[in-house]
Amino acid sequence: MDLTLNHFLFVSGALFAIGLAGVLVRRNLLVIFMCLELMLAAANLTLVAFSRFNLVDGQPAYDAHVLLFFIITVAAAEVAVGLAIIVALFRTKETTDVTKVNTMKY
Amino acid sequence: MPVYYLEFLVVALGLVLLMADAFAKLEDKRSLARLGVLGLAVIFCLLFIVKAPEAAEGGIWRFYAAPDKLSLFFKGLALLSTILVLIMAIDYAPIVVAQTANPEEGAHPQAGLGEFFALPLFACAGLMWMSSANHLVSIFVSLETVSITFYILVAYLRRNVGSLEAGVKYLILGALSTGFLVYGFAWLFGITGSMELGAITEALGKDSVNPTAALFAFALILIALAFKLGAAPFHLWIPDVYQGAPTPVTAFLSVGSKAAATMVTLRLVSPFLASAPLVGKITAVLVVVAVLTLLVGNLAALPQRNFKRLLAYSSIGHSGFLLMALAAAPRESVENALSSSTVIAFYLGAYLLMTLLAFLVLSSLRSAISGEEIDSYRGLAKRSPLHAAALLVAMASLAGIPLTAGFFGKFFAFKMAIDAGQWWLLAAALVAAAAGFYYYLKIAVSMYFSDPAKGDETAIRLSPLTGIAMVVLMILIVVAGIAPGVIVGLFS
Repeated sequence: MDLTLNHFLFVSGALFAIGLAGVLVRRNLLVIFMCLELMLAAANLTLVAFSRFNLVDGQPAYDAHVLLFFIITVAAAEVAVGLAIIVALFRTKETTDVTKVNTMKY
Repeated sequence: MPVYYLEFLVVALGLVLLMADAFAKLEDKRSLARLGVLGLAVIFCLLFIVKAPEAAEGGIWRFYAAPDKLSLFFKGLALLSTILVLIMAIDYAPIVVAQTANPEEGAHPQAGLGEFFALPLFACAGLMWMSSANHLVSIFVSLETVSITFYILVAYLRRNVGSLEAGVKYLILGALSTGFLVYGFAWLFGITGSMELGAITEALGKDSVNPTAALFAFALILIALAFKLGAAPFHLWIPDVYQGAPTPVTAFLSVGSKAAATMVTLRLVSPFLASAPLVGKITAVLVVVAVLTLLVGNLAALPQRNFKRLLAYSSIGHSGFLLMALAAAPRESVENALSSSTVIAFYLGAYLLMTLLAFLVLSSLRSAISGEEIDSYRGLAKRSPLHAAALLVAMASLAGIPLTAGFFGKFFAFKMAIDAGQWWLLAAALVAAAAGFYYYLKIAVSMYFSDPAKGDETAIRLSPLTGIAMVVLMILIVVAGIAPGVIVGLFS
């Protein structure tokens, strides 16, 4: 059986859905953060798949690879800042449970 | 001077501030902010002498749109809002120092204040770059530069639970919207085979485009943009984040971040609106989002008692008017028709003036008035006439009373909806504007017609820089309200 574009799109779609479900359902900030990374990974997989299967002059479209590297870099920066904020929150509230972070209400 | 030097200069200025913070032995770190204001004012003047890059310039500059007047206008908005945010930050510095104090022996009494003045400059560079971005990569990178800077700024008061809570909420939802955005970009690339907006517009206009996949990509991108814009039903983070963040950062979020999100929305949605096979469905979706945003933002503002929370809902409501101008984009060229970009640029210009004026009053009163409740502003006119007058002008303009800039912003948006025959949109906007009159003017009434609370009758001091900024903004609001052509002339 040959692998086609659809296989890659299904896998990446499933990854994105798992990540989104995790963000919505889980309560631990660190797990939520991992799920967010999963969503970005799904986008990266989609980009590479489209680039590999939509050939331009017999070559993959390298624009997608450029965006992919930027996504990886930006995700790393986001994690660096995000973990710092989570650590600061843990120091003041001693919890990483999102349901306990609710002092502001309507 | 080529136009892309401006961003380099802003980043360089930010680095200079960081270095000065680290190595120059400053007694009072607020002088860093004054240096930043001065530098940004110089760069703002340079805006008027830049020239377009040569068309032949390739390489990295293909990520950078040829500067039209509109993108220069947005760069000006970014610079102006950063200047005013830094002025607010000077007034707000004592609170930042108190909430980030370093208990170590021998530490500088204002340790941790320098970055609070340097970070807005990096956000400003991101905003300026975003206004010229014409490639999915440059849109993504500039948007994230701004977002990540804002995560830090929102959570800056690290001894304050409210600020940290706001930071965490903003971080999670911002990262979630980034996930949607890049997944949407991946699909958009898959459908069109290109990352340049020009080529994307061309590819989407063909009849061979797969409508289901294109609508899927549009939905993903719209969800991400709705988060950034604060459009319903993705607006839930806005009130909490605005309330918890330090006041100058709230002002920057509500103006800078909104201007950038609107600019990106305008650029990313235009290819879909230009595509004949898709335009009908896209417009219907935009109308629904705009109606929801108008109603939710303005009706939920009615019972608010916290001033910053009220301004948060007001910012959602104004997003509704901006989306209304986008949803009512004229389909075929009609004579004298207003284009979405004109109306949106004018609305954002007016919104910047009036929102920054309101926040300037708020942050300069922060040390004199203890709470952020609307009740604590009772009788303000007796304690500080200038503060009260500035807040009155800001509220009148936000409500859209004639002779203020806000009136023409709303007027143009209404006119577009009438021209496009979008009656549902018009009805929702009328309800929204009527609700706006009530909750904005309620504040003005309590400032002027009630007495200050007991023991609170002392006069309030005002720093000269803030006073000048307030008077300038008041004058600009009234001038733009009498002659809107002054602002329109800047970008068309």
